[in-house]
Amino acid sequence: MKHKEMVYMTPMPVRIWHWLNAFGIVTLCVTGLQIRFPDHVNIFGAYKAAIRLHNTAGVVVSISYGLWLSYYLIVARSLVKLYVPTLDDLKSGILRQAYFYFLTYFVGKPNPHHSTPESKFNPMQKAAYLVIMFVLLPLVIFSGALLMYVAPLRELLLLLGGIKMLVGSHFLLASCFTAFLCVHIYLATLGHTPFAHFKPMWNGWEEEMVEDAEPEKKTDTKLP
Amino acid sequence: MHAYNRMMRMFLAVFILSAATVSAAVPENGKCMKCHGRKDVKSIAGNPVYINPEKFTATTHSIVGCTSCHDRVSSGHPGDGSAPARAICGDCHAPVSVEYAKSLHASKARCNDCHNPHEVRLPMFMSGDDINKKCAKCHDARKILKSHAKWLPQAELHIDSLLCITCHTGSQDYVITMSIESRLPGSKDAFKTATYEELAKLTSGDNIGRVIDLNGDNQVSLEELRSFNHHLRGKNMRLWGMMTPEVVTHSYQILENRWDCTFCHASGPKAMQKSFIAFPDKSGGYKRLAVEKGAILDILYGTPDFYMLGTTRSTPLNIIGALIVAAGLSFPVFHGFFRLLTRKNRKEDDHEA
Repeated sequence: MKHKEMVYMTPMPVRIWHWLNAFGIVTLCVTGLQIRFPDHVNIFGAYKAAIRLHNTAGVVVSISYGLWLSYYLIVARSLVKLYVPTLDDLKSGILRQAYFYFLTYFVGKPNPHHSTPESKFNPMQKAAYLVIMFVLLPLVIFSGALLMYVAPLRELLLLLGGIKMLVGSHFLLASCFTAFLCVHIYLATLGHTPFAHFKPMWNGWEEEMVEDAEPEKKTDTKLP
Repeated sequence: MHAYNRMMRMFLAVFILSAATVSAAVPENGKCMKCHGRKDVKSIAGNPVYINPEKFTATTHSIVGCTSCHDRVSSGHPGDGSAPARAICGDCHAPVSVEYAKSLHASKARCNDCHNPHEVRLPMFMSGDDINKKCAKCHDARKILKSHAKWLPQAELHIDSLLCITCHTGSQDYVITMSIESRLPGSKDAFKTATYEELAKLTSGDNIGRVIDLNGDNQVSLEELRSFNHHLRGKNMRLWGMMTPEVVTHSYQILENRWDCTFCHASGPKAMQKSFIAFPDKSGGYKRLAVEKGAILDILYGTPDFYMLGTTRSTPLNIIGALIVAAGLSFPVFHGFFRLLTRKNRKEDDHEA
């Protein structure tokens, strides 16, 4: 038999950041679509409205990224532990997790990774978030910031290969984020119920199904 | 009747002389230029009467000849002190005069406040900067930037990449005209349109088009454009593109549809495939070389410094982006499909993402 236990998985600052970021990135993707294909897409009416909203969302996501980084680096001091894959993760963890998602999940085997507040992410998540948060997001913020001020930052643009190179990179990075969003949202539905992973990102607490025979964990008092 | 005679003379002159060189074809031009081509000659009142012979020779007006416009020159000029009659532009340019008279500008400036009749050229033989400088004679650049910045995102960039007349007249048929810009090696100054002399140093002959048009076929291919950009970017040179109208009008006004960004930005990539490169000539004008159709849409080295949101997007890049998104979408679709088929295997539902 199993019983439910509640684990405080996601602290409030991280949740605020997550939803701010999520809302911002979705806004950026949709407005970006209109900005790139105005002859086909007209969601926000005036083109200028789409640009202004895109720029505003870009600034919000950049500030939110700064706050997230500061929180994990200065306040929680758990950035490396949570986001950087260990040697074991790289050697076998990622493969083990991929094997689960692509094969053993379908035959009903359990997830090889058990989330705890100290080890929230499985090795694949760690690798993906590391690339997203430390490569793609800084790059998309940097390229976006340059594109917001083309005339004053022209020298820098020239050094980086010109405006077309920058626009092209920004677009491809945005495509990567859109692809990530699809995978991310879908994987979040793979909990013991489809919304099991959404709830902790809303109220911080995650339901866990624990075997009765296991020694009782006092997880409801755990705080990261 | 007087205007009619003048027009007839002009048509006759253009008809007979258009294929010939100016100095040989209109001998009286040479006679006038003996004095007016010298900087040290002044009028009796002390005013300069100098006309740059090289610039004048390059104009259509020189084909018509000095006396077609200044038709009341006395036989004793200049010794008798009489000044020749001032030209009346409307005698030949009647439709333009009528159109201009109805515009907002008509009460503010006369023809020669903007056009020097002794240096005038068609817009396609001028640089975008030169055309905008004419506007800047009256419209203070800082004030213009300030007023545009109130509503126009990245106003400075727009003003740098557009002719004023692109938006403020009913001009039509837009193309991208690129000019070669340069600055001193090691300098951090702003790029300026390269002069004929600068470009002549880079080529062996007189044809400075060969700076880019390597095979001299008077057309710039995408390969030639890439080669230029690839080799000269590090040498303090670049191509700067401006959106310019092919058909120019004199109906100066604030057009309602220009407030809407989609007027330019939603015209789609098919609208922006026509481009030219403007090369300066010895007389201070420009001649254009056509660029291979669609080169403006090249991802990297075609026109690396010219990009117009929504319009000059690259199709190959769109395809790569779409493939990335499709790859992301395919995971939920396929995984979800097999998840549905194998749902009975996960009775305990204790998996985690």
